[in-house]
Amino acid sequence: MTLAGRIALGVLIALALFAFVLPLLWTIPPETTDPANRLATPSAIHPLGTDEIGRDILSRLAHGGQITLVVGVAAMLTALAVGIVVGGVAGFYGGLLDGVLMRLTDAMLAIPAFFLVLVVITVLGSDLATLVLVIGGLSWMPVARVVYGETLRWKVAEFVVAAESLGASSLRILVRHVLPQALPVLLVSATLGVGNAILTESAVSYLGLGVQPPTPSWGNMLQRAQQYVFTSPLLAFYPGAAIMLVVLAFNFAGDAVRDRFDPRSRSRV
Amino acid sequence: MIVFTSALTFFFVNLAPGGPSSIMNMSATAEQRDALIRAMGLDRPVAVRYVDWLGGALRGDLGTSLTTDLPIATLLGDRLPNTLLLSGTALALALLVGIPIGIVQALRRGTWLDRILDLISTLGLAVPVFWLGIVLILIFAVNLHVLPSSGVSSVSDDSFGDRLAHLVLPAFALATTILPTVVRFMRTSLIEVLGTEYLRTAEAKGLREATVIVRHALPNALMPVVSAIGALIPRLLGGTVVTEAVFSWPGMGRLALDAANGRDYPLVTGIALVVATIAVVTSIVVDVVYTRLDPRVALS
Amino acid sequence: MFVASLLRTRRVAALALTAVMLGTACAGGASPTATSSAQTGGTPVAGGTVTIPIVADPTLNPWSPNAFVESVFPNRVLFASVTKPGKDLAPAPDLAESWSAATDGLSWTFKLRAGMKWSDGQPLNADDIAFTFNDVVLKKELAANGAGNFAAVKSVTAVDPTTVRFDLLRPFAALPSYLAYNAGILPKHVLSADPLKTTSFNKGVPVSSGPYKVEKYTAGQSVSMVRNDSYFGPKPYLDKVVFSVVPDPNTQIAQALSGDIGIMLLDDKASVDRVKSASNLTVQSRPLVQYYWLALNQTDSRFTDVRVRQAFVYAINRKAIIDSVERGYGSIANSAISPALKAYYDPSLASKYGYDPEKAKSLLKDAGWTAGADGILTKDGKPFKFTMDVGQKGPLEPVNALIQQDLKKVGVQADLNTMEWNSYIQKVVVQRNYTATVNWWVYPSDPDVFPYYHSSAAGKGFNIPGYQDPKLDDILVRGQAATDVEKRKAVYKELQSYMAENEPYLFLWYPEEVDVFSTSLKGVPELGLRDAMHYIGEWWLAKK
Repeated sequence: MTLAGRIALGVLIALALFAFVLPLLWTIPPETTDPANRLATPSAIHPLGTDEIGRDILSRLAHGGQITLVVGVAAMLTALAVGIVVGGVAGFYGGLLDGVLMRLTDAMLAIPAFFLVLVVITVLGSDLATLVLVIGGLSWMPVARVVYGETLRWKVAEFVVAAESLGASSLRILVRHVLPQALPVLLVSATLGVGNAILTESAVSYLGLGVQPPTPSWGNMLQRAQQYVFTSPLLAFYPGAAIMLVVLAFNFAGDAVRDRFDPRSRSRV
Repeated sequence: MIVFTSALTFFFVNLAPGGPSSIMNMSATAEQRDALIRAMGLDRPVAVRYVDWLGGALRGDLGTSLTTDLPIATLLGDRLPNTLLLSGTALALALLVGIPIGIVQALRRGTWLDRILDLISTLGLAVPVFWLGIVLILIFAVNLHVLPSSGVSSVSDDSFGDRLAHLVLPAFALATTILPTVVRFMRTSLIEVLGTEYLRTAEAKGLREATVIVRHALPNALMPVVSAIGALIPRLLGGTVVTEAVFSWPGMGRLALDAANGRDYPLVTGIALVVATIAVVTSIVVDVVYTRLDPRVALS
Repeated sequence: MFVASLLRTRRVAALALTAVMLGTACAGGASPTATSSAQTGGTPVAGGTVTIPIVADPTLNPWSPNAFVESVFPNRVLFASVTKPGKDLAPAPDLAESWSAATDGLSWTFKLRAGMKWSDGQPLNADDIAFTFNDVVLKKELAANGAGNFAAVKSVTAVDPTTVRFDLLRPFAALPSYLAYNAGILPKHVLSADPLKTTSFNKGVPVSSGPYKVEKYTAGQSVSMVRNDSYFGPKPYLDKVVFSVVPDPNTQIAQALSGDIGIMLLDDKASVDRVKSASNLTVQSRPLVQYYWLALNQTDSRFTDVRVRQAFVYAINRKAIIDSVERGYGSIANSAISPALKAYYDPSLASKYGYDPEKAKSLLKDAGWTAGADGILTKDGKPFKFTMDVGQKGPLEPVNALIQQDLKKVGVQADLNTMEWNSYIQKVVVQRNYTATVNWWVYPSDPDVFPYYHSSAAGKGFNIPGYQDPKLDDILVRGQAATDVEKRKAVYKELQSYMAENEPYLFLWYPEEVDVFSTSLKGVPELGLRDAMHYIGEWWLAKK
C-alpha cells in the first residue's frame, strides 16, 4: 500500500478512536453548559476551549464524531445495499427488468440530489434514521451502475456458466460468484461514499435540516459556529477541519484500495 | 418521468407537517388560520388539489405561490436565469481551469508537481462550500474591499462590469464543488490515452510530442470528460442551494429552500418540475454532444 | 507594523466614541424627544442614500397574511397610519391630529389632518380608514394579518372627510396604541377590488402615503424608494432609501463592516463585539416591547401548582442566559410589561426571583416532590420528566440547552425536541400538543395584554399555557375599561404584581434590540428600529 494510503488508514483509525474511545476517558458530557465560561480559550480543563454557552468543545467534537461517522457509514451501507440489489438484479436478469431499473437509475442520477434531500427532509423530519435513509437513498446510483457493469462482465465468465449448468439458482450465482468479483470496486465506492455522505450531512445541517441540537454532529457544530465567524472563528475551525480530515482520509483510502486491487491503475502513480 | 416526479413531489410535500407560513406563525389567530386554509383551498383532499394543479400545469399555468401570491411561472422565470448564470459560469470556470491542470498533471505524472496538485484538488473535494463561501466574503469583501459580498448587482450601478464583479465569488465557490473531479477525470483519461498503442504508433511515426498530444491524445482524452460533465451537472445544480444561501444570490436554490421551509406546496412542485426538466434536457444535450464528438460511439 | 498601530489607535478611538455616546444616550433617555446627542451632530443636510438590509422580498401591504417580519420596515415607511409610536412610545399623531374616547368608552373619534394626498395625487381621508377597517381588517374571510388585534372593533365610520369614528364591542383603551402597530392605511381607490392580493401593488409599486414611495421593486434584490412629493409631513432629507434583500445574517454583517449599509437590526448578537470594534459603525441598544417566556401547559397537573412554577423560575439562571445568549442586552423579566413601557413598568419587581437553586429545591419539596435514587425528583412513583419542544428560530436552541441544564441541577429532567419552525408552530400553537416550550411575545406599545392571559384565550387563543384564573381575568378587564391614564397605571401595577406572584407564563427576560449603523447616519430616534421607521423623514447623512 502506498504511503498516502497507509497515512489515510492511520488517520481513519485515529478518528474512530477519537470518536468512540475518547469519550470513555474524557467524561465531561457534551451537553453540560457553563455560560459564565463561554467561548473560553483552550485550557487544561477544556483543551479545545468552550462553545457559545460554555460546553466543552473536545467532548462535543468526540461525540459529534460518533454521530457524523455513524451517519456517514450507515448512509453508505444503505446506498450499497440498494445499489447492489438494483444493479445486480438488472445486470443478471436482463430484459425488461434491466431496462426499467437502469432507466430509473439514470433518471435519479440526473436529478440534483440536494433538492430532493431538502424536500424529503422537510416532509419526514430530521431524526437520524430518516437522515441516513435519505442520504443513502440518494447515493445508491453510482453503486448500481458499477455493480451492473461488473455483473454483465462476470455473468459470462466460465465458472459462472459452469455453476449454472450444475443447476445452481440465479440468486446463489449472483451472490456467491458474481458479487465477490465486484468487491474491489465496491470497496472504492464505499470509501468515497462515506466522504460524500458526511459532506451532505454537513451541508444539510448548515441549512438547519440535519442532525438536531442538542445532539452534536460536526455538521451542526459548523452551523452554530457560523454565527460566530466574526468573533470566534476557531469555533468553526475544529468541526470544519475534522470534516475535511475525515473526507480526505476516506478519499485517499479509497485511492489506496483501488491501487491495491487494480494493477492497471498502478501505472498512474 | 416529469409527470411522475411532479406527482411524487406534490403528494410528498403535502404530507409535511405544518402549513404555509401565512398560517403557521405566532400571531395568527385560530379564526385567521381557518379562513386562510379555506381561501387557499387547503381544506380539499390532496388528490383533488393535485388534479387541479395538473390541469393548470398542462395549460401552462403553474398556479400561484402561497407565500408570495405571485404567479409561480413568474417567480421561476425571475429566478431560473440567475441560477443558470451562476451554474453556467461555475461550469465554465471549472472546465477552463480544471482541464489545463489535469493535462499538466497527466504530463508530469508522478512528479512533485503532480502530487501537490493532487493534494490541493483532494482538499477541494473535502471543503464544505458554505465555509469556503463565507471565507471568501471575509477576505475579498470585508478585508480587501475589492469584490461585493452578495447579490447579483449593486442598486446604484447596474453595468456589465458591476454584474461581473458580483458573479466572481459565488461562481468560484460553486466551481470548487466540481473542479477537483474535472481535474481528476482529465488526468486519468489523458494518462490512459497516452499509454495506448495507437499513440505509440503515432510517436513511432516520428511526430513531435506536442503534436501527438494535441492532435491525437487530447481529443480522445476529452471524451470521458464530456460524459463526466453530464454526471457533474446535477451535483452543480444541487450546490447552488447552499451557494445561493451564502451569497444571497436570487436563484432557484434559494427559492427551493424557502419554498420547502414555508410549505409553499405549488411552488415546491413547480420547482421540482423545472429541475426535472433541466435534468432531462441536460442529459440529452450531453449525449448529443458526446455522439457528435466521437464517431465511434455513433457507429456502435 | 505601522498599519497595525494605526488600526489600534482607530479602534481605541472608536471604543472611546462608543463609550461617550452610550453615556450620553443613557443620560438623555428620560426626555420624551430623546435623540442620542451623537446623532444630532450638526445641522441636517439633504441628500444621500441609506441602505437597509431585510431578509426576504417584502410584501408591500401591512395587512397581507404574507407580510412577515421582512415587510415591517418598508410598510412602516410607505403607509402612514392613524397614529404612530411617539418617541416616548405613547401614540403620537400621524394621519390623525387628535383623538378622544366617548364617555361610555365604546367609541373613539379621531380628527384627521386636512388636505392629505396619496402618492398618485388622490385625496387621503376618512374614507380610506373606513375602507381599511370595514372591508379588510374586519372581514374575517380575508384573514388580514394582525386582524386579531382589533377584535374589539365593531365598525368604523367616516363621519366626514376629516373625522373618523371607531365603534367598539367593548371598552378598548389601547386602541390608539394598536393603531400605531403595523396598521398602515390602504388606498380605497386602488385596492377596493382586491385589497390583499393585488401583486402589482404588494410586489411592485404601490400607491403610498409615507415620506417615501417605491421607485423600483427588483425581486430577490432590492426595493428602492424616493421622496414622495405628496407626503403631508415635512420634506425628508435623504434622497433615497433602499431596502436590500440579504437573507444570510453573516452577509448582512459583512456588508455592514464593508460600509455598504446605512442601518441594520442585529438579530443575532453573537457578532456584536466584532461590529463594535469597526470604526465606521455605531452600535446602540434599544428597549423593546418584547419578553421571552417558558410556557408550562396547564393541562399537565404537575404544573398547576404555583410552587412548581415559582421553583422553575428560581432554578433558571436568567442572568446567565442574558449574558451569554443576548450578550448582556436584556434584563430579567417577572411580568408581561416591558421596561420600554416606561409609564407602566414597575421596576420594584425586577429583583423578585434571584437565581436560587436551593430555594427551587425546597419549593419543589413543599409541592410533594422528593429526590429519587438517580437524582431526579419523583412524586407518586412518577419521575419529574418531560419534553420541551424547541423551535428553530432566534436564540431558542442555546436558551433551551441552558434551561435544560439548570433544571437538571434541581432534579428535573427536561428532554429537548428540536424541530423546524413551521412544524413547531403546528404542533405547539395550532394543536397545543406540548408540555413545555420557550418562545416570546412582541406586542404593541400598550400594557393591555388581555389576548395572552385571559381565560377565554386558552385553547385556541394566544393564552398558550392555558392558564385560567378569574382573579387575573378581572384585572385584565378592568385594564381594558380604564381610559384615564392614572387609573390604567394603577390597574397595570396590580397586574404586574399578580403576574409575578403567579407566573401564568414563566417570565424569562426582556431583550433589547441592537442596532448597527453607519457613523454618518444621524437623526434616528432612540426607538426600536421598527418604530424608528416612522421617523425616516428625519434621518440624514453627514458628509464625510
